[in-house]
Amino acid sequence: MAAAPPAAARSKPVARRIALTGAAVAALAVAVLLSLAVGARAIAPTAVLDALLHGGQSDAAQVVRELRVPRTVIGLMVGAALALAGTALQGITRNPIGDPSLLGISQGASAAVVLAIAFAGVHELTGYVWFAFAGAGLASVAVYAIAARGRGGATPVKLALGGAAINALLVSVTMAVLTTKAAALDEFRFWQVGSVAGRDAEVVAQTWPFLLVGVVLVVSVARGLDALALGEDVAKGLGQNVATVRVVGGLGATVLTGVGVAAAGPIAFVGLAVPHIARAIVGGDHRWLLPMAALIGPVMLLVSDTVGRVIFPPSEVPAGVMTALIGVPFLVTLVRRKAVAA
Amino acid sequence: MGKASFLVHRRSVWVTGILALLLAATTLAYLCVGESFVPPTEVLKVVLGQPSPDELVVGTLRLPRMVVGLLVGAAFGVAGALIQTVARNPLASPDIIGISQGASALTVGALTFGVTSYAVLPYVSIAGGVAAAALVYVFAWRGGLQATRFVLIGIGFAIALRSVTTLFMTKGDYLVAQQAQIWMTGSLNGRSWPEAELLGSTLLILLPAVAWAARAQRTVTMDDDTATGLGVRLGRVRLGLVLLGVVLASVATGTAGPVDFVALLAPQVARRMTRTAQIPLVSSALTGAVIVVLADLLARRLFSPTELPVGVLTAAVGAPYLIWLIVRSRTVGGKS
Repeated sequence: MAAAPPAAARSKPVARRIALTGAAVAALAVAVLLSLAVGARAIAPTAVLDALLHGGQSDAAQVVRELRVPRTVIGLMVGAALALAGTALQGITRNPIGDPSLLGISQGASAAVVLAIAFAGVHELTGYVWFAFAGAGLASVAVYAIAARGRGGATPVKLALGGAAINALLVSVTMAVLTTKAAALDEFRFWQVGSVAGRDAEVVAQTWPFLLVGVVLVVSVARGLDALALGEDVAKGLGQNVATVRVVGGLGATVLTGVGVAAAGPIAFVGLAVPHIARAIVGGDHRWLLPMAALIGPVMLLVSDTVGRVIFPPSEVPAGVMTALIGVPFLVTLVRRKAVAA
Repeated sequence: MGKASFLVHRRSVWVTGILALLLAATTLAYLCVGESFVPPTEVLKVVLGQPSPDELVVGTLRLPRMVVGLLVGAAFGVAGALIQTVARNPLASPDIIGISQGASALTVGALTFGVTSYAVLPYVSIAGGVAAAALVYVFAWRGGLQATRFVLIGIGFAIALRSVTTLFMTKGDYLVAQQAQIWMTGSLNGRSWPEAELLGSTLLILLPAVAWAARAQRTVTMDDDTATGLGVRLGRVRLGLVLLGVVLASVATGTAGPVDFVALLAPQVARRMTRTAQIPLVSSALTGAVIVVLADLLARRLFSPTELPVGVLTAAVGAPYLIWLIVRSRTVGGKS
């Protein structure tokens, strides 16, 4: 991140981008504070800080430390993971509607997890995260293979339709399992919507190594994604190995989606909306774009989660529902732009 | 045919006849096969209203459920045929572009808030479906309607509406959630005469409109200039056809949940059999009915004693077909 971008002529000045990144960090701090303070029991921000820094045995301190901190940390991790996955997908497919949920990748991970819970007797996150990876990988390869066949290659509409078809197929598999194993339904229905509620510190400890691997994979191809944005031929001319960039980036996106789904269930549209917001803020240079996406993703997820806690008391609206409702206007705007639908 | 003669496509007549026979065979099989096998002679006795020892199994349990399945399938078939005709694209079927999801979202919402009256729910479903269609239409309109944009926005709304449905489900208690979850995949389990009668009478009311649609459909398949030159008010006809399709799909969804892909599959299969330029309505209805009744028969027996929702089976057939369409299509990638 330290080196000045070579393509400075077409992108924004470094000082401004540093300032904007600083603003995003501030926004994230506010979102984290809100997520810690707001809920069924509102706690003053000063009390939150007090509980974090000095401990204490009051009820408020207990609520913050035991319930809200793990939930917020999971929100941070999943938000960043999905946003990075979306950015990488949009980069490698050169396609503005790349999103793990729209392309059926999240559903692939989630179907694999359901199968693991139902048949392999796996109940630990460290166990089913592998199934999530496998499911996400298979689904992404399948969708891309379907869309790339036929005329015109992998156009947005074919990718989205392929995603819808794979989605429908996997939902049908999941439903078949769930109806024959009705006991799992109640436990499963909260997880399936995509929620960060009720996750404890253990989940955090189990998730972060995988998250790290995914982040490293995606960041390592940042330059390659930049070159790919100029077109496949130009990227080759610039000395990039396009196939390696695609494979490594795709692997990274798959791992990140798998981690996100294993930790919080499929959460829709974070991977679609965030990269576009980030691109509008810092431009298309992936060495700036990826960190910005990783900052904005958690903001979107945490705000969605916080709003979901207070909108219909006493019940909580899962974060995944809120992000889907926020994400659709984005999809609509993107599709209404002429460039996408062609 | 006298004065009111009209063109009859000979192959279409044959296909319709064969489909009708196929449907009869499927329904007979549906009524015979189950937990206990009932011989066809007894089934016929029950259907004809004569006394029989199998009155309960066939007349009370299987027959109403089969009638609902048959009507739902026919409604989805016609709905798909109408919407696909206007859109000139098989992908614009009600379960892909969010109409079924709109109907389910509002229906599950009504269930969660304690509306359980079967007299009210169909209207709720229709309202949901029409609202979803209107939303997709408004947002996809940009100085014209482009098929790819329409489909993309429809898919987006379908996802959003599905999460609205889950939103209502997490709000409701466990019983409502389980009921809604099964209903959402499309299920005919426990459907009895009141539902069958309601669905039947609603479809009967819509029958004149379908008859109009069968004629109007022909004008829409002409190119715009020819149709306008012949004095057809294309805009209105299209709107009417789509509205009828949306209402039919919503009514069917309201009764059985979104039985996925029947509306996509039935018209395409029917058209391939008749080989006509336009999508045949009667054959689509028959094909839809055969698909749903057959799928429900399998859903009952495949993992017996556990029953699957019928939507699981139709999706298992329909999704690969959609994939095949995408792979084969020359039009999906570009303009319609």
